Amino acid sequence: MTTLTVAVRRRSAWRPAAGVLGVVALLVIVGFVVPAVFSVFWVRSFTTSAIYAIACAGVGLLYGRLGLVSLGQIALVGVGGWITLRLGYGTGLPYPILLLLAGAGTCVIGVMVGIPSLRLSGLNLAIVTLMFAGAFAIVFNATGFPNGGGGFLGRATGSVQRLALERPTLGRGDGGYFRYVLMVAALMFGLLALHVRSRPGRQWAAIRQSEAGALASGVDTTRSKLWALAVVSFTTGVAGGLLAANAGVLDPGNFGASESIVLFAVVLIGGAFSLLGGVLGGLLSQAFPSLLDEIGVNGNLILLVFGVGLVHAVSTAPQGIAGQLQGLAALVRRRVGALEDG
Amino acid sequence: MLKPFIVTGLAVGSLYALSGLGMLVLYRTTGVLNLAYGALGAMAALISWELIQQGTEQWPSYAVGVGAATAASLCYGGLLGPYLAERESVVKATASLGFALAILGVLNWYWTDDTRTLTLPTDTSGFDVVDVRVSTTQLIALALAVVVAVGTSVYLRASGTGTEMRALADDRELTSMLGVRVRRVEALAWGVSGALAGVSGLLLADLTQLTANSLTFLVIPALAACVVGRFRSLGWTLFGGLLVGVLEAVGTPYDWIADYRSAAPFVVAIVVVLYLQRHKTVTIGAAR
Repeated sequence: MTTLTVAVRRRSAWRPAAGVLGVVALLVIVGFVVPAVFSVFWVRSFTTSAIYAIACAGVGLLYGRLGLVSLGQIALVGVGGWITLRLGYGTGLPYPILLLLAGAGTCVIGVMVGIPSLRLSGLNLAIVTLMFAGAFAIVFNATGFPNGGGGFLGRATGSVQRLALERPTLGRGDGGYFRYVLMVAALMFGLLALHVRSRPGRQWAAIRQSEAGALASGVDTTRSKLWALAVVSFTTGVAGGLLAANAGVLDPGNFGASESIVLFAVVLIGGAFSLLGGVLGGLLSQAFPSLLDEIGVNGNLILLVFGVGLVHAVSTAPQGIAGQLQGLAALVRRRVGALEDG
Repeated sequence: MLKPFIVTGLAVGSLYALSGLGMLVLYRTTGVLNLAYGALGAMAALISWELIQQGTEQWPSYAVGVGAATAASLCYGGLLGPYLAERESVVKATASLGFALAILGVLNWYWTDDTRTLTLPTDTSGFDVVDVRVSTTQLIALALAVVVAVGTSVYLRASGTGTEMRALADDRELTSMLGVRVRRVEALAWGVSGALAGVSGLLLADLTQLTANSLTFLVIPALAACVVGRFRSLGWTLFGGLLVGVLEAVGTPYDWIADYRSAAPFVVAIVVVLYLQRHKTVTIGAAR
């Protein structure tokens, strides 16, 4: 019953503020040290890691807080990317507004998929979202992503010049864009954390403990789950927008159903119960393959690692790597405390 | 004009149904929705292909392929089944995704993602219905799906093991207390469903295409078939598979929909799920 003890423990008022300051300081350091130390290849890899970390944090929130299995998150990333590209070419709005619109549009799609299946059992959401991932992979393959052409689909054909979406003014270069992505990712993580710590988060915790119990204590479970799905779809859509501006174009090959399953696997391996797990998941899904690539391991074997890791995480290590790290930190703290006392 | 497409659709659809039935038998017995089902089929098809390339006779190669899928299914079920037996069905399904990823990784690593062709000896023979050619493979697919659907229904209802399987689906612990050898019945279910996965993988590789990725994700139409059967009815699952197959195929001659027709399973599943929740009942997971 760890969740209960956490809820009851008193928090002094300055602790969250100090935590936020600490995170901001860490981000500033990472944002300037990483581009200075690593090569362009690695900076780009870390940029996509940060983008996928947003998607991972969403999957983790749904699974860890509510026990919802959503296997279509990469399709939602694709939806966010599609909206950003299409509106980017069509309207020329400032990039932050594009990101917000991408989040809002993705939110609508995510909720539309969620409404019918959420009323049924948890397995139905998993199945419907897996099919959603499959269906959207087909649609993306058939239509392609907008590349500056006309019409609803925005596809340039024949002699029409293909365009790439421009990066935001704040982050033109690779280092700058890395910092930009870090900032947006921090905002998205903050949005999720805020939800977890306030009323919706408490409702989610009640649902996770017992759906019948939550219902009995006056929680509208369906609405509460839908709200979670809406928030996560929004952040995932924003991640799609960031990915679209990263290279300026998107490749349908990166939005297959297997990618969504891999995303779910890395979240469970990283740890679904904390936002740190999202960060680890992002690194696992993007930076880890780059690392294996550099030491010359066949890319397909990563799937084997992720598959075995997923089975392991589901059956015996539900807290994932993040849980083990936090357990280690708690252990160190206890030991240090014991030393000070004694 | 649509007739040939309906025939192809029925043939492929019956394989979706066959996969759906194999998944359903396992689900109804152990509560595991095996999402690695398509991956097992891909494994059977690729192993058979490899053996044939190396000069092995055709039928022994197919037997080895199907045997490998059965063995892999048994291994997974035997090792992880007891571990996860008390968890929610969605957790069990999630774990099988890991199994699917692991198989897919190995297949893509060993065989790369090139498209191959697997030709069964039954492709060359066939007969004409009115003016449409039907190959023996297509006939086998349809017949197999119907036979498995009817056979399993009768088996579950009439035989001793069938009764044990149904009891197991209701309450694993209670069944074991009644003296049923739970592990053995579960192993039977995993084995049978693995063999069915292998057979449908082989036939699908012949009728559609042989790549690890496409065969792995043929679990999606099979799932749609299960959704139509509401994870209970074998008859409706058969119908669901055929429906998805035919819907997919009849879109082929129309340009505006041809590219999107593979999304048929998703559309079918969403429509059925919407229909199922029309009474606005909220299903609540058991409070533990």
